Amino acid sequence: MNDTDIWTEKYRPSKFEDLVGQQEIIKRVRSLVQSLNIPHLLFAGPAGIGKSTLALIIVKTLFQETWRENYLELNASDERGIDVVRQKVKDFARTKSIGSVPFKVIFLDEADALTKEAQQALRRTMENYSNTCRFILSCNYSSRIIDPIQSRCVTFRFRLLEKKDITKVMEKIAQAEKLSLIPEVFETLYETSEGDCRRAINLLQATASISPNINSEMINMIASSTKPADVKIILDYALSGDFVNSRNKLLDVMLKESISGTDIIKAIQKEIWNLQIEPEIKVKLTEKTGEAEFRMIEGSDEFVQLQALLASFVLAGMGKST
Amino acid sequence: MSWQEWENQHKMITNESHESFAEKYRASNFSQIVGQNLAVSSIKSFLKDFPKKKALILYGPAGTGKTSLVLAAAKENKYELLELNSSDLRNRAQLEERLKPATEQSSLFHSSKILLMDEVDGVTGTDIGGIPELVKLINSTKFPIIMTCNDVWQSKLSPVRAKSTLVELKPLSISTISRLLQEIAKKEGLNESPYFLNQIAIKSQGDMRAALNDLQSYSSSEELIVDLTETRDIQQSIFNILKKLFKERSDFLNLFDSTNLSLDEILLWIEENAPKEYKSLALAKAFEALGNADRFRGRIYKNQSWRFLIYQNAFQSAGISYSKYAPLQTSFTKYERPSRILKIWLNNQKFLKKKSIAKKYARFTHCSTKRALSEFPLIKPILKNQNVQKSLKLSEEEIDFLNK
Repeated sequence: MNDTDIWTEKYRPSKFEDLVGQQEIIKRVRSLVQSLNIPHLLFAGPAGIGKSTLALIIVKTLFQETWRENYLELNASDERGIDVVRQKVKDFARTKSIGSVPFKVIFLDEADALTKEAQQALRRTMENYSNTCRFILSCNYSSRIIDPIQSRCVTFRFRLLEKKDITKVMEKIAQAEKLSLIPEVFETLYETSEGDCRRAINLLQATASISPNINSEMINMIASSTKPADVKIILDYALSGDFVNSRNKLLDVMLKESISGTDIIKAIQKEIWNLQIEPEIKVKLTEKTGEAEFRMIEGSDEFVQLQALLASFVLAGMGKST
Repeated sequence: MSWQEWENQHKMITNESHESFAEKYRASNFSQIVGQNLAVSSIKSFLKDFPKKKALILYGPAGTGKTSLVLAAAKENKYELLELNSSDLRNRAQLEERLKPATEQSSLFHSSKILLMDEVDGVTGTDIGGIPELVKLINSTKFPIIMTCNDVWQSKLSPVRAKSTLVELKPLSISTISRLLQEIAKKEGLNESPYFLNQIAIKSQGDMRAALNDLQSYSSSEELIVDLTETRDIQQSIFNILKKLFKERSDFLNLFDSTNLSLDEILLWIEENAPKEYKSLALAKAFEALGNADRFRGRIYKNQSWRFLIYQNAFQSAGISYSKYAPLQTSFTKYERPSRILKIWLNNQKFLKKKSIAKKYARFTHCSTKRALSEFPLIKPILKNQNVQKSLKLSEEEIDFLNK
């Protein structure tokens, strides 16, 4: 157990036995590690189901105390350019490992965020340095990883965690942190986190920072108050013809909560399909939304474009869609 | 300087016989001031109520009678007039040297005095400390200070604005100017047709001084055709432009030519003020038009295709004006300066802190900064824990941001 007050780290499993779910994968990976020789690995699956954790367990088991020296973790969604592959990855890969294991490990998280060019560059690097370095790639969708890389890796497809898995983790934390949880809370945590264990733990900790006695209502309250952008309210105002309130709420969300225009437009695009309007209008509004997003990429002002998009919603609500 | 001296000084500049009409027929008492009844009564009550308010700003376009009004006020009340205009250097030292004694010592021969700061919008960058000194003078003065300017809404004047009564002088109506021209033509023995005088009045666009200058120049030449196509270019304030744009219904393709604000700045003004004028459908349509204007603005910057300015202009002018089905009958609307840019800047500063925190958190917990940012509201209560702050090595500013 790690010495920190961030629960996602404090309770991150550090041994194969502690992992929940993915039992098949764990069994296979474990035997690879025991043979002290692993191929390049590709972990595919949604967020918060143990991909990074498994990678960490692999290196800790392999290298024991020297794992920090022999391990490089890069997050491709933050550093997605070709330069990262050419510099950081190569620099690390070409030096010899420290200790008894003959190779080092590079964990490339969210590798599907790498540009195609960076992936191409990675492909040669993986081959050239395969003697001294093994890669573990993680991604949400393996289809976004180019074929040559997929063919160099053993792919493991992670499944969503089930309710019993999340419950097991939550119970363990509750016990250690002396929280009192009534059984229905586990259900709520599982549902609001949608099987994302990182989110479930964060949700639990955020709620526990208010009170150690946790019920479902509190979880729901925290979950809804911390939604990144409440675009539904914005769109409801617009559809009912109240442009002024819709606009004010939009500016509020953007300015007070620092949410970028592109994030809002993504949320709007998703929300359209949940609105109580005619399907034809949904299609029409999707077109408007796409157009607004395109204009923003083209260099238009995100505030003006979002307000113009709301205007389209107002017009659609009045049956005056253009 | 008394008003007589003031008048003499002005007369000296122009030879008596060839005096310009504009100076010769300058109004010299309240009864001669035409078409500014509201301004006359506000200046009267300002002087009567002094020192309730210590300063007054007369603002309005050129040739509406700002300086004449002050001159008349001094004459009627037998006040001494001390004038400082833009031909004088008006930096801190100058103001202190010339005006400060005047604001403290009473007048020898007159019951009181008026300090006239003519053309305060001409206090420029070289007049260092001019405006702050002016504010100090207003605070300490024993005599009324009157200022004149064309554009009172310039940001540099805001400290002075807060301390002063604002009195607007509107451009004179064409019929008023036409009537005055007829009186003057008669006195001068000019035999001009009413039609001709009316043409001059139309061309002046409410600027009496310009009308008088035109009368003088035309009457001394043989050519008696007034060329209306060369109307005087006058600078309109953004407030007037917005008023026309929102209240009237016309294509207005040339509306923005009369301001020196850029189209991009005007776009922000429209964005800020459209909701004050338009409601529901018209407002939605206006924002659609604004979105289209902005689309071309983006393309201009992206491709450097300056030709697209035509489209931006069309959507911003005609697009906005035609958003409504009929001209608006609403009365006065108080337009506000665009505030969004400042808000965005403040917000960006905040966002940078948020991002640097998210980055530290992400590295510590093996996830991406992007994910940490998208889950920030959920993470925030966790980050308030002091031990967590310590282990993430958050800076003091970052901790301040979290505690706010």
